[in-house]
Amino acid sequence: MNKQTKVWLVISIALSLLALGSACGGARGPETNKNGGEATSATAAPPSGPTGTISGVISYNGTPPAPKKIDTTADPVCGQKNPNLTTDDTIVKDGKLANVFVYIKEGTVDGGKKVAEYTWPTPTNAVQLDQNGCHYAPHVMGVMVNQKLSITNSDATQHNIHPTPKLNQEWNQTQANGAPPIEKSFARAEVLIPVKCNQHPWMKAYIGVMKHPLFAVSSDTGAYEIKNVPPGKYTVVAWREGQTPEEKPMEVTVTANGAAKADFAFGGAATTSIAPSLKMMPAIEFPMIGKH
Amino acid sequence: MNRGLNRYAILVACATFFLIIAGALVTSNDAGLATPDWPLSNGQVFPKMVGNLFWEHGHRMVATTVGMLTIVLAFYIYKKEKRDWVRKLGLFALLAVIAQGLLGGLTVKLMLPLAVSTAHATLAQLFFCTTVSLAVFTSRSWMDARPLQEEKGTLPLRYLCTAALVTIFLQLIIGATLRHSATWDQHLPAELILAHIGGAFAVTIALGSASVTTLRRYKDEKFLTRPAMVALSFLAVQLFLGVAAYMTRLASPGDPQPLNPMIAITVAHVACGALVFVSTIVLTLRTYRVFPATRHSVQSSSFSLSASKSSLKAEL
Repeated sequence: MNKQTKVWLVISIALSLLALGSACGGARGPETNKNGGEATSATAAPPSGPTGTISGVISYNGTPPAPKKIDTTADPVCGQKNPNLTTDDTIVKDGKLANVFVYIKEGTVDGGKKVAEYTWPTPTNAVQLDQNGCHYAPHVMGVMVNQKLSITNSDATQHNIHPTPKLNQEWNQTQANGAPPIEKSFARAEVLIPVKCNQHPWMKAYIGVMKHPLFAVSSDTGAYEIKNVPPGKYTVVAWREGQTPEEKPMEVTVTANGAAKADFAFGGAATTSIAPSLKMMPAIEFPMIGKH
Repeated sequence: MNRGLNRYAILVACATFFLIIAGALVTSNDAGLATPDWPLSNGQVFPKMVGNLFWEHGHRMVATTVGMLTIVLAFYIYKKEKRDWVRKLGLFALLAVIAQGLLGGLTVKLMLPLAVSTAHATLAQLFFCTTVSLAVFTSRSWMDARPLQEEKGTLPLRYLCTAALVTIFLQLIIGATLRHSATWDQHLPAELILAHIGGAFAVTIALGSASVTTLRRYKDEKFLTRPAMVALSFLAVQLFLGVAAYMTRLASPGDPQPLNPMIAITVAHVACGALVFVSTIVLTLRTYRVFPATRHSVQSSSFSLSASKSSLKAEL
């Protein structure tokens, strides 16, 4: 090997390492932007006393994209059970949008404490995620930190469940047909964790992991309701999936036994309507790490 | 020359090319984690190959076959080949295929970290390069080749070819990094796309220069012009496939699943990239074969075709 060949080799190795290094350099975002709560130590029990609710309707402006047919020929079981399987990223009925995750991102409870300063008890019941017809049900859901998530397989084929969080531990587990439920939990708050099945790449779900129970998912009618909200002033965020997920924040004031309204709108030329007592915050752009 | 060994080396190289296609299909179908375990698939040697498990387990089966073929190749070379450096290359091929298998397992167990997946894809190309090189070194054309006169022109062809080879290898690494940095439903990182496009220009210039120089300077030397023509042809196809792959991949995040046009074109782009690489390797190796490394060695060399043959007989 002559000298020039050696030089070329060294250059090639150095540039290769550079390319790898630059590609692997993405850092995780700060937890405070992903967890739906401020990064303060939570010690106090949630306030007792009368609470209120935050409810509203999620609208979709414009013509929603038509659901796309999914080709299930790779696994005949899927086609047999669910012959008309389509995408469910935009479910709109009478102009109302389903599967929007609405949660209290931050705020101050009457009395001066921040929401994140309270420690909310972890529910003992498990939240269900079923794989049925090669489709996740529900498509969007919320759990609290460390709350059990029970995953079942109702199909006569095997799936694998693969959440791809940024803050929590990633895992990937196969679940054969007839296998017992898989029980998991997430240790850190994160909005929202995509879940996919690597056997059936069209299967997608999203799990919001929260430090508090103040969240809800819009139903097929676009309606949602967050119950047991302590009186205070909050920033409520509506999150919608997409290639770049959309988040719409709104300032909401909740009174004891009161019912605050917060309607959100997505889609073309969407605006957010608010009740007279509510103020709308300007839209906030959230940089999506690793997405361009 | 052992014709059986050469044919067998060609077989292993072809099988390796097929393995690269199988691996590319895994990536394009987003099937890399269709099973979380390794080396078994869902705890089985032969699982039911439905859904994406077809691609992932199929890739493992092809890889196992290539691994076996490589073991036999290394043994075959050890038994039949007298040239020590070829025997060492056979051993390197064996070590490379073992490392490649371990990297494949590692990428599954670690859930496709970019660095490991990229290393797996890069080593695949290097292993392909090795098997093709073994096929070249055991071929009759290699044995029969006679050194030419000293190089025409001021810039030695072998340096041009080496530069093209290194450029292509770097481009392969960038391509592998780009490919593994986002799944079909995510947008590819813009900076890597730009780097890959820049790399395409660099490869076009480097390989174009090497090939055209070969064709102009040594138009009567088929030993050189053939791989130059082949490399140039693959490059043209590859540029076309690159544009097509970009278009289909750009639309992919809006699709409900990885669609066949995107899969077919991106896999073809990977495969053609491998062919550009190995055809350039063949050209480069041949330039080093026929052009002595230094002027002194040209002058002192007393090679001739007959001398080459007689020494070859003595070697074998």
